Amino acid sequence: MTSNKEMVGQAAPPAHLSVRGIQKRFGGVHALKGVNFEVARGEVMALVGDNGAGKSTLMKVLAGAHIADEGQFYLDDKPVTVASPNDATDLGIQIVYQDLALCQNLDVAANLSLGDEPVKSGWGFLPRLLRPLDILEMEVKARKAIDRLEVRTLQSVRAKVGGLSGGQRQAIAIARAVGAESSVVMLDEPTAALGVAQTRQVLEVVKRLRETNHAVVYISHNMRDIFEVSDRICVLRHGANVTTYKTSETDPDTIVAAMTRGLDNEAKNGN
Amino acid sequence: METEAKLSFLDRFRALRETQFGSFVPVLLALAAIWGYFGLALPLFDLLTGEEETFRAIFLSPRNIYNLFMQSAVIATLAVGITVVLLLGDIDLSAAATAGVCAALLGVLVLAGVPGWTACLIVMALGTFMGVAQGILVSYVGIPSFVVTLAGLLGFQGLMQKILPTGNLNVGNDFVRGFARVLIPDMWGLALGVLVVVAFAVANLRQQAQRGTRGLERDTPFAVWGQVIAFGVMVIAVILILNSYRSLPLLLVLLVGITALLGWITTSTPFGRSLFAVGGNAESARRVGMKVKRIRVAAFGIVGLMAAIGGIFGASRFGSVSYTAFAGGSLLLEAIGAAVIGGTSLFGGRGSVWNAILGALVIGSLGNGLDLTGASAADKLMVSGAILLLAVAIDAVSRADAGSER
Ligand SMILES: Nc1ncnc2c1ncn2[C@@H]1O[C@H](COP(=O)(O)OP(=O)(O)OP(=O)(O)O)[C@@H](O)[C@H]1O
Ligand SMILES: [Mg+2]
Repeated sequence: MTSNKEMVGQAAPPAHLSVRGIQKRFGGVHALKGVNFEVARGEVMALVGDNGAGKSTLMKVLAGAHIADEGQFYLDDKPVTVASPNDATDLGIQIVYQDLALCQNLDVAANLSLGDEPVKSGWGFLPRLLRPLDILEMEVKARKAIDRLEVRTLQSVRAKVGGLSGGQRQAIAIARAVGAESSVVMLDEPTAALGVAQTRQVLEVVKRLRETNHAVVYISHNMRDIFEVSDRICVLRHGANVTTYKTSETDPDTIVAAMTRGLDNEAKNGN
Repeated sequence: METEAKLSFLDRFRALRETQFGSFVPVLLALAAIWGYFGLALPLFDLLTGEEETFRAIFLSPRNIYNLFMQSAVIATLAVGITVVLLLGDIDLSAAATAGVCAALLGVLVLAGVPGWTACLIVMALGTFMGVAQGILVSYVGIPSFVVTLAGLLGFQGLMQKILPTGNLNVGNDFVRGFARVLIPDMWGLALGVLVVVAFAVANLRQQAQRGTRGLERDTPFAVWGQVIAFGVMVIAVILILNSYRSLPLLLVLLVGITALLGWITTSTPFGRSLFAVGGNAESARRVGMKVKRIRVAAFGIVGLMAAIGGIFGASRFGSVSYTAFAGGSLLLEAIGAAVIGGTSLFGGRGSVWNAILGALVIGSLGNGLDLTGASAADKLMVSGAILLLAVAIDAVSRADAGSER
């Protein structure tokens, strides 16, 4: 398994973000059993696996929302630590969570700048947490982020998120990750709640991120989408790597087989 | 997406409560109903039935309104603090007991000859400490706030009894008494009111202008001027009424000032934003890097501080500290009731400290009105219970996510 991985690694572009030997336990559940993962700039890495394979857990570890029990992080081959969400943000890692992680009681603008609220200048004598918010700046930024994503149905950035449709919420979660200063964007099933047209928009966003030299991680159960946008496909099973394929050199059946049966399809890997 | 016409009444109501001033509408209506009942309906009824020699007509007299504001002030101080932890989705059952301990210590200190202002600072520090200690237990040990503050309630009640073995202590210190006794001269009070209204209007209009120049949607002129005028009329009317009996008491000015500061902190700073975020979705807040545990500790520190200030105000107003006025009485439930009646959600993430002030006025008016009509303590309890239940029901129904899909 490891040798296989190395082989693909050599053919691939140099990794921007990579992790080695990630272990994560939740009480008795061994969710990640020494997972290796990497993504390069200008590349879309798909992450696939059955329900409960550990995809979301791996993403959360990369985003600092979970702390790995063991494992190393490298950014451009330099060892880094990601021990909190702020560490990840500082390293330019952004994520769209599977559950979106929005605050329904706050408006769109507030959600888009959550945790990174702009404050007015000239209040330096106060601790940052107590400086006046620049609400207008917040709304201007939100407007831009929303316009970039072309969410036409969203009337006002002052609308409470609790009153929006599932698709609109998903768009806001994506806008939050894409709008921030970042080099890595990870999307955990971003099209799960979307219709055909909106799914197209998200796929376009993913492609645009690749064109702008971002490193993109894309989790989905939809093979068609994966084969449309991804450059490589990393398969997880039971919290461990199965293998990583180049998208151009594989097909959906192979991926599904790897997801469900893992090592059984060793023979097919040669293709 | 949905057209205006298709909005049901409930949707409209929810939408109303989501707007900045709309959230005041239910509590203002409640206040108007109570004042209308005690101030207009009952006297009119008496007039029609020929009982002219009645006390009831005095409800809306300046003297009674003055008393009513002062009676509500201690409740309001605690309610404002409690609102801050309610925003997080937590609760503080120990606030009144904390106020009691602080007031008792204040009484003992000034009796021992400690200068009034030093004693006030000491008890404010103590109150903050008591809040922070409970906050640490909630945040870092992970005990639900209900349990921690219930334990606090019991423990602090005991502590107050230890400090005041007789259960009663007179406070004669001039500095402490001053909060309730010092009156702002009529003209100064009025000038202050006008200044506040003008500042409010300028801030609002300037913000609208800035919205325009930055290409953001503006509120309708009706909404903007409606807010300014409603605010102005209320402020000036209150000051004129208070002036026509005595004058604006320092205590009320301080209460409004502190509330304004907390109101600003909760709505217009990153810290305040994090209170709402944690109350709305604590896990999201954590994942965007907010220090949820510290935020919680800070909120409990604030409620502790407000409880201490409530204790000082109470001691100042009554001129004494008694067990029943604070820890052992109905103050706690009145304060929590005030916050909730004001429109702050028990589920976290929605509310405002200004609503707590109005909620305290509702509770205060109810008690005052029932007293004037000679209602028994039993009646008062039952009516208060009904009003509280109504407020919580409105809260539950108007939660935006009560029906998850729209
Ligand atoms: N916070 C948690 N506490 C306990 N167990 C967890 C937690 N998060 C995940 N797990 C467990 O870890 C395993 C991997 O879950 P994860 O959410 O990463 O799967 P997934 O690959 O994203 O699945 P899906 O496709 O359904 O989203 C599962 O067995 C899950 O029950
Ligand atoms: Mg998942």
